[in-house]
Amino acid sequence: MLLSKLREALICVQAGRVTLPYPFAPHDPAPGFRGKLSLDADLCIGCGGCAAVCPSGVILIRDDAPMVRTLHFSLARCTYCGRCSEVCPEGALAHTLEFETATNTVDDLELSLDVFMGPCQRCGRCFPPPTSMEQLPVRGFRADTSCARAGADLPAPGLLDLWAPNGVTSAVDLRRPTP
Amino acid sequence: MIATATAEAVTLLTSRLGAGLLVARELEPDLLWVSVNPADVRTATATMKELGTRFLVTVGIDERPLGGGYGIVHLFAMDDAHQFVAIDCPVSAGDPRIDSITPLIPGAAWAEQEFHDMIGVEPVGHPDPRRLVLPDDWPKGVHPLRRDVAYNYRPPSVEGAAPELKSPPKGTSVVPIGPFFPVLEEPARFRLFVEGETVVGCDYRGFYNHRGIEKLGDSVLTWDRIPFLAERICGICGFIHSTCYCQAAEKAAGIVVPRRAAYIRTIMLELERIHSHLLWLGIAGHIIGFDTVLMQTWRIREPVMWLTEEISGNRKTYGMNMVGGVRRDISDAQLPRIRDVLATVEREAIAVRKAITDDSTLHARTKGVGPLSTEWAREICVVGPPARASNVPIDARLDHPYAAYDDLPPHLCLADGCDTWSRVIVRLDELADSIRLVREAIDNLPTGPVLAEFDEIPAGRIGVSAVEAPRGEAIHFVMTGGVNRPYRWRVRAPTFPNLQAIPAMIRGQSIADVPITIGSIDPCFSCTERMETVDCRDGRVRVYSLKELQALTQSASTGDGGYDL
Repeated sequence: MLLSKLREALICVQAGRVTLPYPFAPHDPAPGFRGKLSLDADLCIGCGGCAAVCPSGVILIRDDAPMVRTLHFSLARCTYCGRCSEVCPEGALAHTLEFETATNTVDDLELSLDVFMGPCQRCGRCFPPPTSMEQLPVRGFRADTSCARAGADLPAPGLLDLWAPNGVTSAVDLRRPTP
Repeated sequence: MIATATAEAVTLLTSRLGAGLLVARELEPDLLWVSVNPADVRTATATMKELGTRFLVTVGIDERPLGGGYGIVHLFAMDDAHQFVAIDCPVSAGDPRIDSITPLIPGAAWAEQEFHDMIGVEPVGHPDPRRLVLPDDWPKGVHPLRRDVAYNYRPPSVEGAAPELKSPPKGTSVVPIGPFFPVLEEPARFRLFVEGETVVGCDYRGFYNHRGIEKLGDSVLTWDRIPFLAERICGICGFIHSTCYCQAAEKAAGIVVPRRAAYIRTIMLELERIHSHLLWLGIAGHIIGFDTVLMQTWRIREPVMWLTEEISGNRKTYGMNMVGGVRRDISDAQLPRIRDVLATVEREAIAVRKAITDDSTLHARTKGVGPLSTEWAREICVVGPPARASNVPIDARLDHPYAAYDDLPPHLCLADGCDTWSRVIVRLDELADSIRLVREAIDNLPTGPVLAEFDEIPAGRIGVSAVEAPRGEAIHFVMTGGVNRPYRWRVRAPTFPNLQAIPAMIRGQSIADVPITIGSIDPCFSCTERMETVDCRDGRVRVYSLKELQALTQSASTGDGGYDL
């Protein structure tokens, strides 16, 4: 009994103080950590691969103006799985080492990107131009349209709305209509 | 051996059931599918019991869109023969009723209540036909896992809805524990029926955390998205659930996982067991007021969490599993780091074990506490360390080998004390064995790809997978659908059978021993996933309305005492 208590005391004494100085000193996670998502607007071609694989419905795609596809990211829903950055063919999406994402304003975690696309002559829907030469002039972020539209006419990011909101089509449903 | 056992089962079922046996097929090398006439379900179950099989769980499937009625599938395991047996009962949609098997197998009680709630097939003759999973204000006749109920259906809440209460035996008082109770991190409500200090019975209402995960899996998500949701079934053994789901899907689709991926899954599963057992030991210490154990085991555990963060990119919810293998490889540069962490954890865990095994305080609080006899452990179909501590030799890693456990067999850690102390010892043994397993796995890590490519998964295939989680065996059942997602995905977390053993474990025990007994099964309520009313001391059940309760708290705070408690 006594021996047992002495052994227990020894374990505690040997361990000493183990508390880390965080948050008074930085505590960087190991490389490869899946932190807050970063999006390089110049690289995005609007293919929608990220929206097709996202398990938590962070990324929504709208094609409601000719030539412009809107990608809307509700990062508050992100579960940091990293599937989007894995499938992005252009490397536009990446996980940073940033983990301090707490905010009082949920809008801080909303991100909208308009990508200039080519519309299909028959169905009118956007598609990325077939060759990389043709992609050159139409690729990228257009601040003039996105500022006016970002967030303003998007539905509130409630749980049920985001899964299948009216008028918003996820890339998955575009490709594979459910019967 | 395997074929013999299956053939024997089919022969016996044929002789007992006669024309009641509709079809018997070997769907997979380890899955025998037996369709029986629903009227003969009890005979079939009695035959399965005679064969010495262990009941796992029941899957209720709404097969009306496929031209059928409701499928009630009782799953059994023939552990010695490494086989699963599914007793499928096609219930007609016009008369959704089937004989209850709970009178034969007490461990089937919750599984049957669950399909009653979720699919709407009534288990006739069930000893406790109350609601189990659905909230008390959920409308009658709406069964969420039927295909015609939308995944986002939200019925309006009803004020004053209350569950049916089990009436306490005569002469006993009721001591409520929960729904929020400091010892248990998750909501669960126990009503203890006590005589003085001694517990003579109990009533349980849980499932406060029901999240509709299975519904999302078969209506919204796709094959490759589900592992990330499956991982969130449990905050501690998430990797177990994603592995179990992926394996069930892989079996259904006939995908062969690359060997390296199988080894990586084994490494992650065992790392999860190491940190989970250390976490449990700490919580067990905390429940009995021995916080030194909590502080020190959690300190020892932390490097394992950092290690999994380095390997997977996150300390929990590793996000590594996909149908077909794993997404992240373990680099050779990480191997020495894994060995270092294992060496430290092993040295420190041995020191803790040496220190606590002779601690008389710990003995006094755990020996003979929460007894569960071998017979009852078998009847209630208990799994994992509580089963092994009651001398039931089952371990999914040995009985139904998966990942790389065919190459790396674990030691079966048994104890015959049938009490909380034995559960401590079993877990400490398993902790040491897991460290050995991770070492062997990284020493023999094969080279090659980690993810298998596959085409569209055909509809109507079935896969059953078992994974030994730290708290017991998890079972996932997958029936494939044609639209890139399962038609039915059934999850049975290990706490589901183990929690049903609690009434047997606390009967005759002192009230003070109830928390550690509940703690000794390492409960995970959210994975398993009912409000009750205040009872008077004389055993009468009194229901307070929300308004009355508010008035009560107001009078208590102002001190004018309007109500006499």
